[in-house]
Amino acid sequence: MSGVRQRGGPLAGVRVLALCKVWAGPYAAKLLAALGAEVIKVESMSALDEMRAYGGVDIEHAPYFISQNTEVLSARVNLKSDEGIAQLKEMIAHSDIVLDNLRPGALDKLGLTFEAMQAIKPDIIQVSIKMYGTEGPLGYQTGYAPSFAAIGGLTYLTGHEGRAPRGMNIRYGDTTAGAAAAFGAIAALHHRERTGEGQLVDLSAVEAISSLVGDRLFEYALTGEVPQHQGNFHAELSPHGAYPCADNGWISIACDGDEEWRKLASELGEVELGQDPRFASHAARIENRAALDEAVGKLTASCNSAELATKLRAAGLTAYASASSLDLAVDELFWAKEAYRMVENGNGDVRPVVGPSWSISPDGAEVSRGAPTLGEHDDYVYGEVLGLDEKEIARLKESGAIS
Amino acid sequence: MTALSGLTIIETAERVCGEWTARLLADFGAEVIKIERPGGSPTRRYGPHVAGPDGKDGSVFAYCNTNKKSLVFDLDSEDGRAMLAKLLEKADALVDDHDEDWCAAHGLDAESVRAAYPGLVHCQITPFGQGAPKDRRKAWPINVANAGGWAWHTPSESAAGDVPIYGPGRFLQDFDSGLDAAMATAACLYDQRRTGTGRSIDISEVQVQLSRADIVIGRVLAGDDEPNTGRRRYDMGGPGDVFATKDGFVHLYMTTSRHWNGLREIMGMPEWAEEFPEDWLEFHCTPDRVAVFRDHFRAWVAGEERNDVSLRAQKLGVPLVPVNDAADLSANEQYRHRGFYQQIDGTDYPGVPYRMTASPAQIVSAAPALDADREEVLS
Repeated sequence: MSGVRQRGGPLAGVRVLALCKVWAGPYAAKLLAALGAEVIKVESMSALDEMRAYGGVDIEHAPYFISQNTEVLSARVNLKSDEGIAQLKEMIAHSDIVLDNLRPGALDKLGLTFEAMQAIKPDIIQVSIKMYGTEGPLGYQTGYAPSFAAIGGLTYLTGHEGRAPRGMNIRYGDTTAGAAAAFGAIAALHHRERTGEGQLVDLSAVEAISSLVGDRLFEYALTGEVPQHQGNFHAELSPHGAYPCADNGWISIACDGDEEWRKLASELGEVELGQDPRFASHAARIENRAALDEAVGKLTASCNSAELATKLRAAGLTAYASASSLDLAVDELFWAKEAYRMVENGNGDVRPVVGPSWSISPDGAEVSRGAPTLGEHDDYVYGEVLGLDEKEIARLKESGAIS
Repeated sequence: MTALSGLTIIETAERVCGEWTARLLADFGAEVIKIERPGGSPTRRYGPHVAGPDGKDGSVFAYCNTNKKSLVFDLDSEDGRAMLAKLLEKADALVDDHDEDWCAAHGLDAESVRAAYPGLVHCQITPFGQGAPKDRRKAWPINVANAGGWAWHTPSESAAGDVPIYGPGRFLQDFDSGLDAAMATAACLYDQRRTGTGRSIDISEVQVQLSRADIVIGRVLAGDDEPNTGRRRYDMGGPGDVFATKDGFVHLYMTTSRHWNGLREIMGMPEWAEEFPEDWLEFHCTPDRVAVFRDHFRAWVAGEERNDVSLRAQKLGVPLVPVNDAADLSANEQYRHRGFYQQIDGTDYPGVPYRMTASPAQIVSAAPALDADREEVLS
């Protein structure tokens, strides 16, 4: 028997069927796997996850795909064949959660509405990730991470003062939506454990983004004034910003109160600046913050960002260099904390991946296997989970239902 | 009754990341007892101070502490710690976001808590996680954004001289960290329900930032993309960007010939577009071509209205969308349809992004006044 190993973790014993593509859905699936759930990714040669094609020489070595599908199992199901659909229904009958981020209506077209899934498994939990949710006046619309960020209010509120809003980096958005979906799935597990009842968790990716700017939306609800993007402004901390350093580096510095500000001025070698009446109080520093930022930036400009940050922290201040991809890659703390870890992929390669943000003890889930090859777990899923014999599995492969 | 009803969570957090974690759990009906220091949580300072019955409470505190109870203790005193111990004996989880030294000094380090309350789920949120070097134990959200790589790469297409931006406001990183913390805590509480097992959870705020960029950093670590000091390492290289319209902004994202053909149709099949190969987005997306496209598109879309042009685009499957502000979202028909905003005392609270058919999240009570629930909790 091929079997799959027991990895432990708080979600051990929970089975997730993932009909997910690109980023938000697979990210949610990966997080649930990192908490110990058994995640079966339903795939097919006839409807590949686009990530298996991006930037790779072949579907088993596609860099995006193998960067994210850690500890996920892969079973082939051809959803274009009736027999494939029948097998998918069998899998639903053996699952706790069905997670999907397919286009609005795609599952319905396969006859897999939530009600149909409930008929197959009465306590099933369906978690659906759509840009605007599963229904409603704008429910038909689709988009990608930067679309979520724009609709959800993040883009309007992010940018340099005096320039047009630009939003967070274009990659921001999918993963937060996926994380919100994973959290919704776990809440639904609690409800099922307590009452025996399953449910539909209908996630709106744009609302997940709005939750990241909820304080600004709430501000609007209270004041009626539309909040605007403000660069690195912080109403309670000053100075507060990213300041230029040598070799195009940057350092982030935040001071809380007059004492920290005076200490910063002194550490930067300009004790007198700490006494400058324009910057004597927090209110004055906010009032004169353009001048303040310029004065601080002049003093940081010749320093190495990492060295200056270390020096300022040693003095009790809060300062960190702005990290480039190179800085991130070489930070030993991230390896020590297993934020980065080596995993073995289904294709046999050993590869570094970004792990979860948590460590859990005792009994955190083991995370050591990387992304699966297409259909790597066909025999496990059809044989052990569904209980089909070898002959029947061979027949399904022959007929194209498993392909 | 909703998903986490019946669970009791003690919150000793004093930063927004920990408060947000407990709020996400309180949304689902967990009883969250917030321990505040004499004088109140430090997060009560965050303005504008326009919330609450007198319109003088901090809006951030009001937003992050709905559905919670407040109890004042001084954890620096023996009495305060004894009261906390009493609460923890009956609690299911503890959410904290203090640094390690504070935790050790207050008997709230992971080991001591595990020894005293073996069945408890204990979630600790810190900038770089437990065991980080002493000088990496305090960070504000702007530091988390910069140490975690997103600021360096924000906005997209930044030049070397552009100031890295940390986000849309003061708490983006706190909210993202809180989401992971609530997820891990809820997962451990689920197993606690099944097996009685308690666990310690160590959340690193900077690791949340890394995790959110997994496909970018993973490729850099593996050498598919060279790690470098460029500001554009997270970018995608396509024509997607924010563009000004007559009445605001839209965001265009475009990667396929289907998108391109749809866009050409909306623009009325302009002549300049004929010079682009139909599959240019898939196979010939050069910086020059992107620049030429943007010049033409910018000139055209400047004469359009953002909602109207977005609607026309969506009907043809083109991901062109309005850049919404807070007023737009408040009026958005889909948000209203889904009930994203929930009202307490006539005020709209941004709610949760998941609608659940059986156990919906509900905001039922405004943030507590200081020490409001002393009698009820201690009786």
